[in-house]
Amino acid sequence: MLYLLQWCANTLLTTAMARPKAVRAPTTASLPNNLRIPSSTPSLTKSLGKLSRQALLDLAFTWLDDRNIASFPPYLQADEEDSPDDDEALPYPAGETIEEVRQVYEDLQDRKGAKREVLERILEGDWRNGITLRQLAMADLRYMDDHPASLRWTALELSRIDTKQKKSSKPPPADWSGSVPRMQAATFVQGLQREISPLVKAHYHLAHSATLPLTFLRIFVVDSPYQSPRQAAEIFTDSSRVIYVAFPDSCPYVYTSIAASTGSKATPSPSSVATDTRTLQRLVRDSIPKALSRPQERFSLQATSLAAKNLPTLLALRGPGRSTKSNGAFSIFADAAIEGSPLDPRPSNTVAPGEHIQASHSSPVKGKENPNGSAAKRRSSTIDTSPVSPDSKKRRLAIHSRFGTLGSSLAPAPLDRLDIRLLDKPSSSDEHDDDDDDDDDDVDDSTSTLPAVSLTFSGSDVIGGIRSLAELGIVDPERMPSWMTGEEGVSVATVRLGQRLQKDI
Amino acid sequence: MTTTISRAPTSPDPEEVELDTEITSIRAEIQNLQKHKRILTSSLLTTDPIQKLLRKQPQPPTTTNQTDPLATISPLVHAAGAHTSSNHHRIAFGATAFPFKDPSPTASAAPLLGVRIDVCARNGRFAKPYYILLQHERSRAGPGSGSTKMLKVHRHTVPGFISIAKLESVYLPRPGVLRDNGDGNGDGEGSSGEDEDAEPAKPWKKSGSSTRKQDLRGFVRELRRELVAWHMRVDAIDFLREKLGFVGEGGKALPFDVSPDRDTGIVSLAAVAVEARYVRVEWLDGRVGRFKLSNAGVVERAVVIGDEGRDKKVEDAITGGSGRVETVLDRLRVDVLSGSPGTPGTPEV
Repeated sequence: MLYLLQWCANTLLTTAMARPKAVRAPTTASLPNNLRIPSSTPSLTKSLGKLSRQALLDLAFTWLDDRNIASFPPYLQADEEDSPDDDEALPYPAGETIEEVRQVYEDLQDRKGAKREVLERILEGDWRNGITLRQLAMADLRYMDDHPASLRWTALELSRIDTKQKKSSKPPPADWSGSVPRMQAATFVQGLQREISPLVKAHYHLAHSATLPLTFLRIFVVDSPYQSPRQAAEIFTDSSRVIYVAFPDSCPYVYTSIAASTGSKATPSPSSVATDTRTLQRLVRDSIPKALSRPQERFSLQATSLAAKNLPTLLALRGPGRSTKSNGAFSIFADAAIEGSPLDPRPSNTVAPGEHIQASHSSPVKGKENPNGSAAKRRSSTIDTSPVSPDSKKRRLAIHSRFGTLGSSLAPAPLDRLDIRLLDKPSSSDEHDDDDDDDDDDVDDSTSTLPAVSLTFSGSDVIGGIRSLAELGIVDPERMPSWMTGEEGVSVATVRLGQRLQKDI
Repeated sequence: MTTTISRAPTSPDPEEVELDTEITSIRAEIQNLQKHKRILTSSLLTTDPIQKLLRKQPQPPTTTNQTDPLATISPLVHAAGAHTSSNHHRIAFGATAFPFKDPSPTASAAPLLGVRIDVCARNGRFAKPYYILLQHERSRAGPGSGSTKMLKVHRHTVPGFISIAKLESVYLPRPGVLRDNGDGNGDGEGSSGEDEDAEPAKPWKKSGSSTRKQDLRGFVRELRRELVAWHMRVDAIDFLREKLGFVGEGGKALPFDVSPDRDTGIVSLAAVAVEARYVRVEWLDGRVGRFKLSNAGVVERAVVIGDEGRDKKVEDAITGGSGRVETVLDRLRVDVLSGSPGTPGTPEV
């Protein structure tokens, strides 16, 4: 993927660092990869400063790699001769060769020190001419790898739109593969560019995540038709102008992030006031399925009522793995926690569930399951053998049957927010005695309008929290409805009689 | 022991640490041995001679006893016997059914029908079993027969790239849902046949009525076939990687700089995604190729691109011959391709 990316980056590029003096004409080309943001931009320091020291060093090594050196040339002494107007007072002397620059970062790697040191070396030393858009994109994606919970993601399902007329043709019975579009990076980016270029100007960066089975597409949008926008340099680091789209491997889902609308929008020029960033983002999101589509194979995106902050959560609930369609009580099946391999001579009820999970099953693909080793983590909490009273033992059994392996202390899929809308008539017994905000319980039954009871749970791990409430005896594990066990794998649901309604979400 | 001693100086109290590590290692060993003992006991209990012996022996003296002697003597033997027979079914047929009661208080009283699919991988081990839990659903839309029981997939653990929805719409059609899929939400999930006139053409359909019968056997068969095909593809790619020497001892991937294969000049060969439908190949000279595997293990298509455009010769070699993926490396040997022992890595134009 990375090679394709580089290749497509080269083809999409048109001009190298257009000087402001050059002729400015509106084009439909994308923003060039090597458009430089002045290193003196304060917000650039801020956005690169989010990264850890090690991440900054890794990035510098990547930029100085032989394959990338042409894209991100550092400032060398040869450059100094070209521009004699540079004053000599800069704190970092320019290196003579690239090898020398590399050595500097090797030295920084070897000794301990502050992050500041590396950051200043990058911005004021070796890349004093500016950080390119691609470098910024790489830095952002690195940050995402390090902090998978830094953004809020929405899972969308890709589904094929079938034309009615095609129905008569016999479907090939051998093809049961899901509607996973075969995506070729360059083609996809070109398609996307075709869709959105009349509306916005964008910069694309596509890369496979280093830690998760995901391909990230970072789109930065500007509402200017010019190759080198005249806006202030701050606009390039404005996080509200960045849209991330993640394509998990081998499954018909797409995750999108609408970046948190943190108000770093300083309205640098009057033109950007006219179009707010939300509209730009919507434009981009609408064009994603179109860019994925091909003749005879059109896709549309559909909501799956799941939004979460954590990318591993999305991968577990809407990913290629086993747990996508079996959660809550059914997570024992996803983890294969009840029965062993057919070659295991021991009757399955005599073996602890944890042993089944880590048992000698051969995984078809290494790291197919959650890459953070969820199975091993989950296991730890299922086995504790302290002597307990029969009552709490019964409760624990009930909890285990309701929650399965999900939501135990080190849950791999923490939901940070769960919105439930109850459509039931308020009855005499109110079984939801949790931290909710139900307000109108005293409405008379006879009124024709149903009172809307909305529950919002939020926290670092909602389902895990409900599980521990059940362990403490606050929630009755046998009578609670199934949405409390995370069985549906959603973050927004409308519930009637304990069952989630599929429509009207 | 030696490792603990060498690590000791870093800690405040070396002796204590040493004892601690010793204790943990002994505990781990005890656990291991206990596990081993349990495996041995249950294996012993399940062996045929023991089962037969225990079943035969106590019969003469216990004629007066009303209860089943085997059950009174040892429920363990009984459990072991039942477990072996279900294991035999799992190994032999690969698909077994079981009931499962949804613990949710709002779920319907009828238990779910669980189907377990076992797939054996190349190393002789079984993959984690796949489960499909089906829900009985009463439908009144059946023609003439009043209310019939319909099955519906409730939960499953099948990986996302196999479309359960597609399989379900073909093998487990439900009258109401088909119409919904057709014009309701518009997704239709692909190949569900809604047109009445198209139906007789499909072999899996029982013609005659407007709603097809549900075919659970067909559903499980197709699903299992798809799962097995996926495992076979993964295994085939692993096999090729092993042959190229990209897989180290114990199945672990070797560090980054593996030496390229001398016969073929291939530096990298890997599945493109989890689905393992496409395989990406890289050569030493920068050529990049991709080929597609069919479910039967045949290379269906191949594209190889080098600096001078597509390399048709290599493409033909990949898809040529029997087309089997297992022998693809033999067909890609440089000396076979060029007809003479050429230097590996020179692009053939």
